[in-house]
Amino acid sequence: MDFSFSFLVRKVLFRLDERLQLIIVAALVGLGGGYASVVLNLGLQHGGHYLMPLRSHWYATFFPAIGAALSIFFLHSIVRDIGGHGVPEVIYSISRRGGLLRFRSSFSRLVSCLLTIASGGSAGPEAPVVISGASIGSNIANFFYLKDRQRTVIVGCGAAAAIAAIFNAPATGIAFALEAILGEWTPINVVPIAIASIVGTEVSRGLQGNQIPFQHHSFYISNVNLLACLGLAILTAVSSVVFMRLLRLVSAKSGRVIRSFWLRAAIGGLFVGVIGLVLPDALGEGYEYVRSIIEDRYASGILLAGISILAKILATSLTIGSGGSGGIFAPCLVIGSFTGLFYQRALMAAFPQVVWGGEGYFGLLGMAGVMSSVLQAPMTGIFLIIEITGGYDVLVSVVLVSVLSATLSHFFEPHSIYHAELIERGELLRPRTDARVLSELSVGELLEKDCHVVHPEMLLREFARIVETSHRNYFPVEDERDGRFLGMIHLDDIRPYLFDQGLYDSVLVEEIMNRQVVSVSPEDELPDILRKFDETRSWSLPVVQNGRFLGLISKATLLDHYRKELMAQEAE
Amino acid sequence: MKNQLLHIFRNTPFGRETFLQSIYFCKMTGLHLKVFIPRHLQFLMYFSREVVTVDLDKSFLRSPETAKQHAEDLIRETGVDASFLEPKRFTASTLPDIPVDFGFMTCPRTISDLSSKVGLGYIGPRVRAIIKNAAFPVLIPTAVYKEWKHIVVLFGGSANALNAFRLGVKLQLLSGLPLNLFTYAENKPKSYYEKILEEHDLFSGIQSGGVEWQFVEKGHFREGLYEVSHDALVIAGAYGHGLIKEILFGNMMEEIQTILPNNLVIVGPHYSED
Repeated sequence: MDFSFSFLVRKVLFRLDERLQLIIVAALVGLGGGYASVVLNLGLQHGGHYLMPLRSHWYATFFPAIGAALSIFFLHSIVRDIGGHGVPEVIYSISRRGGLLRFRSSFSRLVSCLLTIASGGSAGPEAPVVISGASIGSNIANFFYLKDRQRTVIVGCGAAAAIAAIFNAPATGIAFALEAILGEWTPINVVPIAIASIVGTEVSRGLQGNQIPFQHHSFYISNVNLLACLGLAILTAVSSVVFMRLLRLVSAKSGRVIRSFWLRAAIGGLFVGVIGLVLPDALGEGYEYVRSIIEDRYASGILLAGISILAKILATSLTIGSGGSGGIFAPCLVIGSFTGLFYQRALMAAFPQVVWGGEGYFGLLGMAGVMSSVLQAPMTGIFLIIEITGGYDVLVSVVLVSVLSATLSHFFEPHSIYHAELIERGELLRPRTDARVLSELSVGELLEKDCHVVHPEMLLREFARIVETSHRNYFPVEDERDGRFLGMIHLDDIRPYLFDQGLYDSVLVEEIMNRQVVSVSPEDELPDILRKFDETRSWSLPVVQNGRFLGLISKATLLDHYRKELMAQEAE
Repeated sequence: MKNQLLHIFRNTPFGRETFLQSIYFCKMTGLHLKVFIPRHLQFLMYFSREVVTVDLDKSFLRSPETAKQHAEDLIRETGVDASFLEPKRFTASTLPDIPVDFGFMTCPRTISDLSSKVGLGYIGPRVRAIIKNAAFPVLIPTAVYKEWKHIVVLFGGSANALNAFRLGVKLQLLSGLPLNLFTYAENKPKSYYEKILEEHDLFSGIQSGGVEWQFVEKGHFREGLYEVSHDALVIAGAYGHGLIKEILFGNMMEEIQTILPNNLVIVGPHYSED
């Protein structure tokens, strides 16, 4: 009998109501996610503290390259993990693997991201914290033997806690987890995610203080400013589309040109260093520039604002696209704030007689627009901007720009930066969709084995006797010697012979069998099998593996199981 | 895929030995051999409660241009039923997911560390993680190809040992080879073990003479293992205890893998016959 601590904890937990179980585990995960965020944040602060004074030297150009190479060396050679921002991995695990994530992901990206950003790489700390929080959630869920469905919610809790803690923004954590990670807002998800988000935020507040990252003064917002939001939405949509496409391009091309992971990251980092030499705004997470724009302290003109947008887009694409570790939240905020600034400067130049909102107002709206477009998650963008700026007075404008920008960019880039890769690979299965329901079923459980197997040398008379006692219309034909599947006979194939008893002793099964049979394998995906049903217009298909007949799969059974699975998912 | 044995192909002379062992296992049992030729240094196995990352030793990726040809040549020579596994799912572009619903899997004593570490007493951490999580038994082959002429199940009365015995009976049926049950008494009478077997409907095979029972009452367990024939396929259960019990009472599997140079089949705690 096991009386270990873990056993006793599990025993107590299992006696509780399922919702209460989730809430307790969510609170634990909130603690983990919160601490992960604080550790990374403090690491970045210390890294910045030591490296910032050196940035004015010529050799600082090489810092991002060295940081990126070290980051990749750490990931690939020490912890043996992979690069990139990691959020697609979290979504994949929820979509396909019941929320299972590797334990090493709970710390690997934190360290690599710290090396990338502290050295000047253009990326944000959010995505690494998301995968870290999610992995903590997944492993805690495993410790408590939670079911797959519960584990996916807890993974969402980890992501929510991480985002809430790093931005000191609990509502954003909730919106991000539900909108971008889990993809569904249901009562069973919302409560534990809200708990984790609050716990994560409180951990961050307890250890770092309750600070609003981008405090701003109040804005004068006239109707004409609201009208101007339409133009800004177009501009932020353009910035977002350019950013997403360039990031994808760099990711795809850099892998083909340079095979070595660390060399690729180092060269990407070197380019970033060169950009930083001319435009330091493009380096690091860039929050100090966002802050100066929001506080109306950014002195540069329209041209520099425009160049800064392009420089940040390029620097981020090079950092993350070449394999560096880091997220796109912070770069989105920087790109958005520069886009807003650029737009405000353009409006001032074009219509000097109009009283426009300050650069802080447009910078803030720009952040919301780019964030909503890149993530295709307008609620996350709205909550984030409101919470990190405390800017409830700009709520209407933020909603307007977020929603319009997300809609416009959707026209050119229909999927968020996190989902695009998964959709391309056919791995994004959203809850309650056909593909998700079918993914819960396997060929094995649909297999019908009560088939009468016949042999090619069998006479029609013998076969007719089998048909008489069988309730099936399909009969697999196997080689009697080695058991190999040879083909099928459908009842329709023998109908012409059945009423001519003279043929009973002269026709063999091999003369009437169909050898050109479309078969499926137990490893096939059910959507592919359904496609085969449609193409062949069959109601049953043989399941064959390594030349052996395993059974039949029928459309009716598949649809029946589909309906049952759908009902089960609805009940949850 | 329960009638398949998964083998991760290593295109080296050492890899050839383990591959020949997998081929021999399939030949004896009639299983289908599924060969995976890795193209990346890692792959993932998603078990029901844990993801196991298998970090491969670099020798697994050696000479990729000849790997498939070498594997095909060996398969053709022996005529076993085999096919190659192409991963369908990827957690990331360089991180394939390998299915986990095979009947068996072959793992050399180490797959992550250099093959120079392969030796008695060492089982690598990845292999241990697979054994601990898999619903299939793991075949740990000898470093050099060696045929086995009969099957020995090491039976100590635990739940895992019962599963090992069930598997032994199954392999006996498939291969037609004689099956021996080996028990070290551990200060308990034979009737104690008989009762356990009876309770699980496993005693009839011994009574009918289909299974020969070697019951060792004297000496140390390590010494008793000398009685296990050198040309036997040894089946044993693993990881039946919690950490504290393991520290206090030791782990039988560790003793076995340190002493016996035979081909081993290890039945983990999540083994499922279905």
